[in-house]
Amino acid sequence: MLIAALVWIIQDMLQVGAMGYMLVPDLFLMIVIYRVLTGEFSQASVSWWIWGAFVGGMIWDLRWAVSPGMSAVVNATVVYVAYLIWSRTPSGGRSPVLFALIAIAGNVISGLAHYLIWAVPSQAALRMFFAQQFFSIPLLIILFIRYVVVLRRGEKSV
Amino acid sequence: MAGKINLVLVNWLAAMLVGLMMMWFFGAAPIVSRAAMDGVSSALSYVELPAEELVELFHLTRSWVLERSSLQRRNAELEGENLMLRTALAEAKAPVPAARGDLIGARVTLRYPDQWWRELRIDKGTNDGVNVGAPALADGYMIGRVVRTGETFAWIELVTSSSFMLAAVVDDTWDLGVINGDDIGGIWLMYVPQEREYTKGMSISTALVGDHLPPGIPLGTVVGKGDPRDGYVPQMIASGARLSQIYSVQVLRSVERRTEN
Repeated sequence: MLIAALVWIIQDMLQVGAMGYMLVPDLFLMIVIYRVLTGEFSQASVSWWIWGAFVGGMIWDLRWAVSPGMSAVVNATVVYVAYLIWSRTPSGGRSPVLFALIAIAGNVISGLAHYLIWAVPSQAALRMFFAQQFFSIPLLIILFIRYVVVLRRGEKSV
Repeated sequence: MAGKINLVLVNWLAAMLVGLMMMWFFGAAPIVSRAAMDGVSSALSYVELPAEELVELFHLTRSWVLERSSLQRRNAELEGENLMLRTALAEAKAPVPAARGDLIGARVTLRYPDQWWRELRIDKGTNDGVNVGAPALADGYMIGRVVRTGETFAWIELVTSSSFMLAAVVDDTWDLGVINGDDIGGIWLMYVPQEREYTKGMSISTALVGDHLPPGIPLGTVVGKGDPRDGYVPQMIASGARLSQIYSVQVLRSVERRTEN
């Protein structure tokens, strides 16, 4: 949870720097998804992460958005859906590709929600949305590689 | 397994419920929403300070590189104009008015996308002598005025806001009008006589309206005209400031407040 909080602060600081140019990628949500899918996969742990994502989204809304609560709801839902997909996938099917797809989908859904809430979708807003997705790629790659490493370590220990 | 899934489901549903209630509550009570936003922003301002300093350094460096020569030229023009006016005042034996305020630099800390042309927030407030009604300038042009203040922040209503109304004067003809925005980036000079002809490039500045707002602050220049209505022709004004990209502003604070500090 501490790492997620630190990532939230980093995301906030990046948004300060990028204000007026672009929306920064939802690093916090991606880290939360990563922790949910690769950490202790218990119902209590996932429930904590749902509320963690909720609080992170709420504070983000109060700092940057115009409709407080929206990111909180989106974050909690993305984490829940990610958990649902992961929990219903057999262990053998929990591949790095599936993990990457879930992380990408979470990021796209979060960005899309912010884009649609602007009510008047303009070319500039669309450009910001795509820029946000583009700049998410490095973190997605890092998380993907990290997951592959974690997976291989697990296989070796078995 | 069913119990485990249910626990997560229950927590998710509870989070949804709380989130939707908060969305409804904050939507129904914008004053509370704004107070909460200001509170969170103030709390985070300490964490964000390094990032803000870096951004400021970046913009200062860029401004220094790009705008140094133009600012020097403008400064020379203003100094010349100031000297000429002082000479004229001395010749007319009129007393030179004392300065009523000074400009304080402030960084823009928030500008909501859907309020882009209406308002922005700066990092200076009543602690720094910023009062409601004070004009905000960028690039030497008035871009708005302070409408709400906190101790460490202030909200500025932009000239492009449809709720912005300000008495202004056409410098070349001395015609009075009212500056009004349209919420989409346009600035209009309203209520000037229909029979008057204004040419492109005529400068517009503030008229004397109150203690907080000195007359003569540049607002922009005439660049076109709109459709006649109710006996007047709105004049389209272009601001001298880059309104789409405002990273820092200068706010006029009163001398009285400054001496208190």
